[in-house]
Amino acid sequence: MTDMTHDRAVAPRRSAGEWLHSLLSMPAGAILLVFLVVQLGCIVAGLLFPDDFRYLSSANMGIMMRSVPVLGCLALGAGVLMIAGEFDLSIGSVYTLTAVIMAMLVGAGVDAFLAAPVGLLVGAVIGLGNGFLTLRFHLPSFIVTLGGLLFWRGAVLLINGAVQVRFDPNPVFNALFSGTIFGINAAFIWFIGLCLVFWALLHRHRLGNHIFATGGNRAAATAIGVNTGRIKMIAFAIAGFMAAFAGILATTRVGSVQPGQGAGLELQAIAACVIGGLSLRGGRGSILGVFLGVMLIFTITDVLLLMRAPGFYLDMFIATLIVAASIFNHGLDRRGAES
Amino acid sequence: MSLLELHNINKTFGPLKALNDLSFQVGHSEVVGLLGDNGAGKSTTVNMISGIHQPSSGYISVDGQRQTFANRRDSAEAGIETIYQNTALVDCLSISRNIFLGRELTDRFGFLNLKKMREIAMQVLESAVHISGIDSPDKLVGDLSGGQKQAVAIARAVFFKRRVLLLDEPTSALSVRETEALLNQVLKLKAEGVSSVLVTHNLYHAYQVCDRFVIMSHGTKVFDVAKADTTIEELTQHVVLT
Repeated sequence: MTDMTHDRAVAPRRSAGEWLHSLLSMPAGAILLVFLVVQLGCIVAGLLFPDDFRYLSSANMGIMMRSVPVLGCLALGAGVLMIAGEFDLSIGSVYTLTAVIMAMLVGAGVDAFLAAPVGLLVGAVIGLGNGFLTLRFHLPSFIVTLGGLLFWRGAVLLINGAVQVRFDPNPVFNALFSGTIFGINAAFIWFIGLCLVFWALLHRHRLGNHIFATGGNRAAATAIGVNTGRIKMIAFAIAGFMAAFAGILATTRVGSVQPGQGAGLELQAIAACVIGGLSLRGGRGSILGVFLGVMLIFTITDVLLLMRAPGFYLDMFIATLIVAASIFNHGLDRRGAES
Repeated sequence: MSLLELHNINKTFGPLKALNDLSFQVGHSEVVGLLGDNGAGKSTTVNMISGIHQPSSGYISVDGQRQTFANRRDSAEAGIETIYQNTALVDCLSISRNIFLGRELTDRFGFLNLKKMREIAMQVLESAVHISGIDSPDKLVGDLSGGQKQAVAIARAVFFKRRVLLLDEPTSALSVRETEALLNQVLKLKAEGVSSVLVTHNLYHAYQVCDRFVIMSHGTKVFDVAKADTTIEELTQHVVLT
């Protein structure tokens, strides 16, 4: 009898422990936990101090929804490429370049619905170029795309000079990419939709299976008959394409392009991926992780802004987050390698 | 007619002669031990049969049909599966995704039929390959032991109806128990009509399961004998002294 009561007392605690364990061993489990705790804390604080901590105010929610998608789209592309085992440091420059090209085309009288696909195409082609150089000459993609970062940053100044370009598309285009539906920002809806598309592609489609295999063990994937070169090229193209898409969202929101606006975004995108549990060596990660990584960066930015903390705290917080996340992920990697 | 046959194969890498007039055959439901010391040309032979290298002269035939294997996919299509010591599996993917890697079950848009892949993987793991400790096809391959990984690789070969397994030093990284399980697996597959080529320099493991032995030295065959006509001492003599 005493045993039974003892069991009953222990069982729920153990299942909670198991639940926690299974959550933590999920690809994005730890980050999900951190994200939920941070959100809960912010909501409670927002309810308790509605005047001092305006987290739940509609203005703050609106700012969040408008700022997340640009980095989010960059991180989705960078994340797929990282899972395939490569990097792209040039996405920040490509993001600016494609936005400038699109804005210049619209300025010259081309319809925005034609100019935007041109920008996306340019982004994808530059991605393919990075992939070609990386694979053809067996170079680290870090080096190739570092070159890309500088080259395309220079190219922006070459074709446009150091002045901003106005972007004044037709109203339909504006509504489609920066309007508001049911109080939700259109760019945010695009981002959520793209997350779902990427989730389906990466976790439920043959292509995703091959991307994970290519990044996880290229030799094995090749031996089994996966064309790993082709898979990497596709991943590079996706990274470039998503950089251009982020450019469309940002340009439509602001109504102009600044030649220097993409600087540093590539590192933020990679940071979001690392926080979200993607392995720098490829083969590990999830779209949920990328999404949460981006959301966490912006939540923390937002909290610091609401608390009127000086800007340098932001960098220090993000830096801590990246290193902590890597230590955690490295532990997982090593555990996987040892057993 | 033999299932797999090598006809007078020569292979040179620049000035190096790796294989010299090598001929041997593998019959239906036969386990052949390909033996020899390090550098005898065993690995080159395996790579040739699996399509990674091409012979400089001579040819390979399957069921009497002359074959040219330009890559591994060609040899797989002819029914030959190579299982390497560091088996060609992706650690970060689940067992079922590994079994179907490159040959996924999808709908016409390329989306995976995960449910069916899981069911078949579980079936294959339960019926074809008996290795303890694999209870779910969702387990990551990276969490498996060396023997379990080879079991998954063999399960893949079995499911895709391979007729010849090339096992390259399969026991070198395995525990004693895993080795026993693997060798039993080879015998069980033989009973089901799958031939194997066991490439090893462990004569005792080979002697346990092989029907015939081909001993190589310096890129050529020096001894080819059925198990009934030889002893482990005689095999050792040939491996060591030639």
